[in-house]
Amino acid sequence: MIEIKNINKSFGNNHVLKNVSTTIENGEKVVVIGPSGSGKSTFLRCINLLETPDSGEIIFEGRNITEKKCDINKIRQKMGMVFQHFNLFPHLTVIENITLAPVKLRLQSSEEAEETALKLLERTGLSDKKNEYPNMLSGGQKQRIAIVRSLAMKPNIMLFDEPTSALDPEMIGEVLTLMKDLAEEGMTMIVVTHEMSFAKSVANRILFMDDGKILEENNPKDFFSNPSHERAKEFLSKILYKI
Amino acid sequence: MERFINSFNKTFIVEGRYKLFITGIENTIVIALFATLIGIVIGILVAIIRYSAKNSRKLFLFDIICNIYVSIIRGTPVVVQLLIMYYTIFSNIDNTIFIAVMTFGINSGAYVAEIARAGIESVDSGQMEAGLSLGLNRSKAMFFIVLPQAVKNILPALGNEFIALLKETSVAGFIPVIDLTNAGNIIRSRTYEPFFSLYSVALCYLVMVLGLGAIQKRLERRFSQGDRN
Repeated sequence: MIEIKNINKSFGNNHVLKNVSTTIENGEKVVVIGPSGSGKSTFLRCINLLETPDSGEIIFEGRNITEKKCDINKIRQKMGMVFQHFNLFPHLTVIENITLAPVKLRLQSSEEAEETALKLLERTGLSDKKNEYPNMLSGGQKQRIAIVRSLAMKPNIMLFDEPTSALDPEMIGEVLTLMKDLAEEGMTMIVVTHEMSFAKSVANRILFMDDGKILEENNPKDFFSNPSHERAKEFLSKILYKI
Repeated sequence: MERFINSFNKTFIVEGRYKLFITGIENTIVIALFATLIGIVIGILVAIIRYSAKNSRKLFLFDIICNIYVSIIRGTPVVVQLLIMYYTIFSNIDNTIFIAVMTFGINSGAYVAEIARAGIESVDSGQMEAGLSLGLNRSKAMFFIVLPQAVKNILPALGNEFIALLKETSVAGFIPVIDLTNAGNIIRSRTYEPFFSLYSVALCYLVMVLGLGAIQKRLERRFSQGDRN
């Protein structure tokens, strides 16, 4: 579904991504982990070209999206993205947040979009919030709305950029549950996260990144029980501490 | 007391001089209103160009033009701009109100541009990114997501700018326009009675400014729904 070939990205003198390559198959759930500053988020943001790679190619559903003539806005309609800080539109109500893109892009009439939005809200148990402004919601609710907003575009793949890192601990569960449901429905997902339990139970594959490179790619069982790379071992020993 | 009434009479009643005041008020409102509209349009346009030029090399030339425009307008006095417009650029146009509207509009645009740019930059970049990630193009994301929030942020500054603009139109009399101040001047030059002409002019400005202030407050309240992230 997505083929990433040798992408490089630098910010000034900071070489953030170094020849990163991987392939993500349809329906796969890939979890990207690694220490902060390792390039995980940049990697994710390169996939939908929120950051433009300096070199390399990204092939999405057979099309090279790094080419100049490719209409990235069209491609992004099929790639949902969820951000660490939710990025809900504070001047719009929940339902307006969800229907804005489908309506303004003329993919649906406002009635259709509203219907879709209500169905999605119902499924996530948030239909009573439809006329609230985002500032009235808890962090967990905001992030679930942000996920719903992406889903309203009927994407083929969802990118999650540390979706639970800005949440209070008690809010994390509701967001992870929604993501898990989504995974079980067969959505292709790439998730950057520090939630190791989520990685263990949902991922088909773990990408371990450090210093702008993918150091290890493995299924979660083998990765967590027996990491092969020295840096991965060190990382896991630090985060899976036992008191 | 008799002198007082006599003075009032001379300033407002004789030869129907109140009509001149009314003309002056009307012209001042017309100049300020249309200059404001022109200022908003130019200002937001310039701000968007300058903001977008950061992400696109194609707008390089426009960016330079906008910079020159803002520098020249902010670097020269409005009275001089008014005289230049009247004697050179629009020298073959008789409608002095139009000239005043254009001058004050173009002048205000440069200040609004700076205010609006600060407003656009004050909106978290995640808002634009969220819009883009949903498949909106930059201009749609700007128009539906960033601008409404920017406008809310700059409303107080924008309100002050328009209050300043309204008062600034009092120099319109440097060219033959009967604005409120000039109306007062004309009457005073006939009556030689400064008291009523000057104080009533001042009172008129005060009432207009207070009115604007009230409108500004209402707008700010309307835009403040959904405050804070």
